[in-house]
Amino acid sequence: MKQPLAIFAGLAAVVVLALLPLWLGPFYTRVVQFFFFSAALALAWNILGGFAGYWSFGHTVFIGIGAFSAALFGMHVGTFGTGPMSMVVPLLVAGLVCGLFAALIAYPILRLRGIYFAIVMLGVSQVVSELVNNIGWFQGGVGVFLSPPVPSGVTPEDFYYYIFGALLLLAFLLTLLIKRTRFGYALLAIREDEDTAMMLGVATEKYKVLAFVLSAVLVGLLGAVYGYSVGYFTTYTVFRLDFSLNMIVFCLIGGIGTLFGPIIGTAVMLFITQVLLSRFLDIHLLITGLIVVAIVLLMPGGILGALTRSRRAALARKAEAQA
Amino acid sequence: MLLFLQTTLNGLVLGGLYSLAAVGFSLVFGVMGIVNLTHGIFVVAGAYGALLLFRHLGIDPFFAIIPIGLVLFAVGYAYQRTIIHWAISRASLVASLVVTFGVAMIARNLLQLTFGPDVQTITPSYSFTSVGLGPLRIDLVRLIALGASLVLLLILALVLARTQFGRAVRATAQQPLAAELSGLSVGRLHGLTFGLSAAMAGASGAIIGIVQPFSAASEVAWTLNAFIVVVLGGIGSPAGALVGGLLLGLINAYTAQYIGPSLTTAMMFLVLVLMLLVRPQGLLGHSFGESR
Repeated sequence: MKQPLAIFAGLAAVVVLALLPLWLGPFYTRVVQFFFFSAALALAWNILGGFAGYWSFGHTVFIGIGAFSAALFGMHVGTFGTGPMSMVVPLLVAGLVCGLFAALIAYPILRLRGIYFAIVMLGVSQVVSELVNNIGWFQGGVGVFLSPPVPSGVTPEDFYYYIFGALLLLAFLLTLLIKRTRFGYALLAIREDEDTAMMLGVATEKYKVLAFVLSAVLVGLLGAVYGYSVGYFTTYTVFRLDFSLNMIVFCLIGGIGTLFGPIIGTAVMLFITQVLLSRFLDIHLLITGLIVVAIVLLMPGGILGALTRSRRAALARKAEAQA
Repeated sequence: MLLFLQTTLNGLVLGGLYSLAAVGFSLVFGVMGIVNLTHGIFVVAGAYGALLLFRHLGIDPFFAIIPIGLVLFAVGYAYQRTIIHWAISRASLVASLVVTFGVAMIARNLLQLTFGPDVQTITPSYSFTSVGLGPLRIDLVRLIALGASLVLLLILALVLARTQFGRAVRATAQQPLAAELSGLSVGRLHGLTFGLSAAMAGASGAIIGIVQPFSAASEVAWTLNAFIVVVLGGIGSPAGALVGGLLLGLINAYTAQYIGPSLTTAMMFLVLVLMLLVRPQGLLGHSFGESR
C-alpha cells in the first residue's frame, strides 16, 4: 500500500540529487557534498547511539583511523590501480582497520554504560590522536598524502559529490535494513532496558559489538574518502572534536534513533550555519549551542519527535470529536 | 633521585589545583547525578574574573577568590534553578548532559568574543619568586596555590560533615524523596549545591590563572580533568576529589618528565579507561551510592 509510494519517492529523490550538480555552482555543490558527508556520519553514529543508546563522544577516532590507514597503506604498500580505481583497495583497508580496531576495544569498552561510555570514547579518540601525532611512523605531525583519484574531465567537487552521495545512500540503506530486522529490535531492547533484554534471551553482547563495528566501518570509510577529498592532512585535520560533536548534535536535532532524523537534523543545522550564517563565523558556536539548548528544552525528541507528537495529538482530538 | 623528588613535588602541587577545580563537579555529580559539562566554563570564568580584577583594580588573585566565589555562587544557583531544572523536568537526566554541553558552547563563544582567543596569564609581582625546600625548588605561587586549595577543600569537607546545611545536602543526595518528606526544600538545596560547586570552580580558576596560561578554549580540558579526577578518586566527596586530583597531578608530572610532555593527555585518558574497567566507582567509592 504505502510501500511502492515510498520506494518511488526515494528513487525520485535519488535521481533529483544525482542531477543536482548540473545546476548548482561549485560552491553549493561543495555545501551539498559536505551535507552528504555529515548526514552519513550522523547516520553511522545513530546505529550505535540512536538505536542501542550508547552515545559515543569520540566517534571522530574512526574518521582519523580510516583516513590514516588509507594513506599509510597507499604510501607503503601501494594503491593497486589508477584514477578512481586507486581508491578501492585503500578504502577496503580503511574499513577493515576500523572494524578490527572497534572489535578489539569493544569488549572492554562496551561493558561501560551511559556517561561513562561516552567519556571513555572521548578518551579513546584523544589517546589515538596523540599517538598518531607523536609516533613517527604514523607521520601524523608532518602529514600524509593520498594520491588524487579524480579522473580527468571531472571536477573534484562533482567527483566527491557522487562518492559521498553513494556513501550516504549506503548508510541510509544499512540503517533501514537494521531498523527492519531482528538486529534493530535487539538494539532498541538494549536501549530501553539492557538487563531485561539480556534476561529475556537477547544476545546483547553480540548485538552491541556488531552495531559498534558496523558504525565504525562506515565512519572509517567516510573518513578515508574525506582524506582523499582534502588530499594532504595531519592529525588534527581528521581527529577533530567538532566532528564527534556534530554527529551527536545533528542526530539530536532531527530525532535520535529514527531513520530520517539524522538526515533532517544535518540539513537543518548545515542550512543555518553554512548558508544563513556563512558570514558570521565567529558566532557559529553560540548559535549551535543556543539551538541545542532550545531543542532539548522545547522539543526533547528532536524535530521528528515533535512532528510525531503533534500528529498523535491531532489524531486523538479527531477520535475525541467522533466519539 | 633528586629529579624524581622534584617531579613528585611538582605533580602534587598540580594535583592540588586539579582537586580544587574538580570538587564542585564531584559534588554535583554525587548529589544530583548530573554530569555538568559547563564546569570548565566556571573555572575559566574564575580565571578571567581574577584577570579583570587584577588588571583594572589591582586586586591580588588570592583575595579575588572571595568576590569571584560570590558571583559564581549566584550564577550557579540561578543556572540550576532555571535551565538545568527545566531540562530534567521536561526531558530527562541525560538531557541535562546535552543542555550543559550546549550552554558550555554558548559561554565559550561569549568568552572568546569578549576577551579574544589569545592565551592569557596573570602575573603578580611575586610570580617569579621561588623557595628552597632542601635541594628542591618550588615557585612561591605554586606553594600558596597548593595551600589555598587544601584550605578550601578542608572548609568544604567541614561544611558538608558538620553543619546543618551539609547534613541537608547529604540527606538530599541519599534519599531525595525522604528528605523532601522531612521538610527539606530539595529544589532549593540542589540550587545551593550547584552554586557552591560553581563558587569552588571559580575560586580554583582564580588560582589557576596565576599558575598556568588559560584561554576560553581550555574549558574543555578542565571539564575533562574534573571528570577524570572524579573517576579516579570517587564521587561526591572532597576526600575523593583530593585523592583523584593528586593522583592525576602525579600521573601528569611523571608522564611529562619520563615519557614525553606531548603524551600527558593520552596517559591521563589511558589511566581513566583502565580505572573505569577495573574499579568504576573510583578509589574511595560513591559517597552517597549505597542507598541509591
